[in-house]
Amino acid sequence: MRKNKALLLLLLVSLLLSACGQAQERSSPYRIYLISKSTSTEFWRSVFAGANAARAEYNVELTICGPETEEDYLGQNRYIEEAVRNHADAIVFSAISYTENAPAIDAAAEAGIKIVVIDSDVNSSRVSARIGTDNIQAGRITAAAALDTDEAHLSVGIVNFALVSRNGEEREIGLREELEKDPRVEQIHTVNSLTDHVAARTSAISLLAEYPEINVLIGLNEPLGVGVAEASETLDLGSRVRVISFDSNIRCIDLLRSGAVSALIVQNPYAMGYLGVETAWKVLEGQSFRPDQLIDTATSIITRENMFTVEGQRILFSFG
Amino acid sequence: MKNRGIHMSTLLTISNLAIVLLVLSGAVFLFARTYQQQLTGTARTNSLRTVTQVSSTVDDYLAEINAVMRTLEEEMSDPEKQRSDFFDVFLRTRPDVVAVSTYDPAGNLSHCYSRFGPPTGTRSDGINLSLDLQRLLSEPDGYVSAPHVVTFFQDVYPWVITVVSPLAEESGEHWIALDISCSDISYYISDSGIGRRGYCYLMDTDGNIVYHPQQQLIYSDLKTEDSTRIATLEDGSYVEGMVIYAVKTLSNGQWRLVGVSFLQEFLAESLRQLGTILLILAALVLLAALLISAVMSTVLSRPLRDLEHAMEQFEDDADRFNYEPPKIAVREIHHLSVSFRDLVLKVQQLMKTVREEEIDLRKTELRALQAQINPHFLYNTLDSISWMCEQGKNAEAVEMVNALARLFRISISRGHELIPIRSELQHAESYLEIQAHRYKNQFTWSIHAEEACLDYLCHKITLQPIIENAIYHGINGLVDDGEILVSVREDGADILFTVTDNGSGMTEEQISAIMQKDHSDRAGIGIKNVNDRLTIYFGPAYGIQIDSEPDRGTSVLIRMPKVREETDYEKK
Repeated sequence: MRKNKALLLLLLVSLLLSACGQAQERSSPYRIYLISKSTSTEFWRSVFAGANAARAEYNVELTICGPETEEDYLGQNRYIEEAVRNHADAIVFSAISYTENAPAIDAAAEAGIKIVVIDSDVNSSRVSARIGTDNIQAGRITAAAALDTDEAHLSVGIVNFALVSRNGEEREIGLREELEKDPRVEQIHTVNSLTDHVAARTSAISLLAEYPEINVLIGLNEPLGVGVAEASETLDLGSRVRVISFDSNIRCIDLLRSGAVSALIVQNPYAMGYLGVETAWKVLEGQSFRPDQLIDTATSIITRENMFTVEGQRILFSFG
Repeated sequence: MKNRGIHMSTLLTISNLAIVLLVLSGAVFLFARTYQQQLTGTARTNSLRTVTQVSSTVDDYLAEINAVMRTLEEEMSDPEKQRSDFFDVFLRTRPDVVAVSTYDPAGNLSHCYSRFGPPTGTRSDGINLSLDLQRLLSEPDGYVSAPHVVTFFQDVYPWVITVVSPLAEESGEHWIALDISCSDISYYISDSGIGRRGYCYLMDTDGNIVYHPQQQLIYSDLKTEDSTRIATLEDGSYVEGMVIYAVKTLSNGQWRLVGVSFLQEFLAESLRQLGTILLILAALVLLAALLISAVMSTVLSRPLRDLEHAMEQFEDDADRFNYEPPKIAVREIHHLSVSFRDLVLKVQQLMKTVREEEIDLRKTELRALQAQINPHFLYNTLDSISWMCEQGKNAEAVEMVNALARLFRISISRGHELIPIRSELQHAESYLEIQAHRYKNQFTWSIHAEEACLDYLCHKITLQPIIENAIYHGINGLVDDGEILVSVREDGADILFTVTDNGSGMTEEQISAIMQKDHSDRAGIGIKNVNDRLTIYFGPAYGIQIDSEPDRGTSVLIRMPKVREETDYEKK
């Protein structure tokens, strides 16, 4: 009888203490790392803007880092290790290399860090959620933009990533799949370039020199898109070659206005950044997502005709 | 005893606890309700106040823009050279102005002054979002546009709101457009939070969002605002579920400011505090209840339990029971205990009185019986003596008279109830002597006593009734010589008397008859009297035990404790 009372009292006190403890626990924000493929493109700046908006809304501690070039997967791995060392709670990650980043991500997951993949996938089973463009679909949309012409004979040149990056691969798969369905398409040539607009421009120019019959030129991400647009501008191809670029780089927008670029395939990087951080927070709060089901951020075709509509402005130009 | 129901203190504790918790939770519930209502009221007021404040700042800003517009309108009458000097200064001092442009009546760009230099973009595609001619048809006095990007330039597309006004000039410059950076308007609205998560946004009267702190989220379809519906509401504050909307129309009549705040965050904090208070209160109540129960246990239930236990003990052994009322107890229980103690004392006294009375009764009875035997026995003995005298057996007669005299002297014993065993044996001897004469030496007898026993005391006339029984039921009518053997010996703390005869013996029925009959058929003390006396005085362990076998004889065993002095026995 007496013992019971003492036990009850103990229980009560511990309950009170735990209530206090719980109240304290929430005061320290989650530590989230966003590791990007690059820090210099407008695409990534927009991702960061979205991530920062989520950071403010969910009160998390956000560290944004990424390598200088989009080939430096080793640099990404170093950032992953840094996140592990600094006891990050979650990493929002975009993989340069589908395979080479996987061990580092697995190790981070092993250390108890939640992994949310945005934009470009990594070959890991430890990913909690995947967010980004459905790249196969983006490829198909690109094909649709490329095929939106009256030309009877089409010869397509594709400038894609030099390194095996999942989103580049998938875009090309979707793109080729649709292109090959169209009887007008007679040739498809792919050249792989470093993801840098100067390199892409050089690659595009030599591709055009090699296959002068090319009348559709496609760059599969922002720097590559700028590269092919610049190639078109440099060679003053005008309307002879239909140029399709990726993402809303300001150069591309100007070239779209001037007609050097026919269409832009615009992803929603702001949403990727925002949803990446938001989803990481939700995962840390105990929600679960299906990593095999991509949380798709919209992809749109922007042309001269729709670029200054209310919708077009909202897609192309980031707000403040 | 443990399984019989719950303890009183437990019951008290539980009922205390239940009542207190009930009252507490009821109070807390009522309090929380009132509190919530009040909080909601406060939150609404707060929300409305913030929105009013923000709207007045925005109003001020718009008024300022209007003033700027008036200045610009005036400036437009100045010649070209003066203008560019003016705009150099103007654009430097007003970082919120992105561009100022003028148009001819057809909407063609006349001049454009901008912080980004001369326009470079418009020529390529002719798109200019800063002037909406279509809209000017219906609003010839000018308008304030929704957010859009500036299309004058290459490389830069800032989001702006354009204020358009007509100029006095009929030809040439007919319209003036002032592009104001959205990020500057955000300065007035973004930080105007209501609570931690609340915010304000600006919309037009149709519910199109002009500025929202999370504009990009809305543009990216990551967030939606129920602005079209809100646009139908009058100015004021509205609680919808856990969201509070405060709406205020700006003084320009075109824009409305909406404050969104979340009741939850006001309530959550308050309710959490309330919960903590409740928890602490509950803990205190529990603690108090436990203390009370502990106190109850000491002053109420434990004394009651003790009392119950004492009563059981008293039931078991009333004689030697001793009760002391508890020192710490409530008054009622103390009274109860004291009453119980008095009761115990009274009962014990009564029991003692009853026993004493019984003993007295027996004594009186025995005395009466003693008085009774004498005449009968005396008559017989005197008859024998007279017969001896007639026969001239003088010596025998003398012996007989002596024995009789001794018998009576010991019987009287100066009124003592207890006499030394030595005397009792003399008494028995005298009796046997007299009876041997009377029965003409039909039997022989002998007495063996351990020397150590002789000084202990015993009741007078203990042996005589046994011997009498032996003669009448054993020896009388026996053809052979009878033999009566009397012995006294120690047995530990007891004295054992045995009277053995070799007479005709007794059946079981006869034995029980003797042991139960109140009086022998003849007057005088019976065996039962002797037994009763021993049992009453010394307890059930003492008394008479008869072993008999028909035709073989009878052996009567008398057991009694060693008694040294008469007071010894009185004590017992």
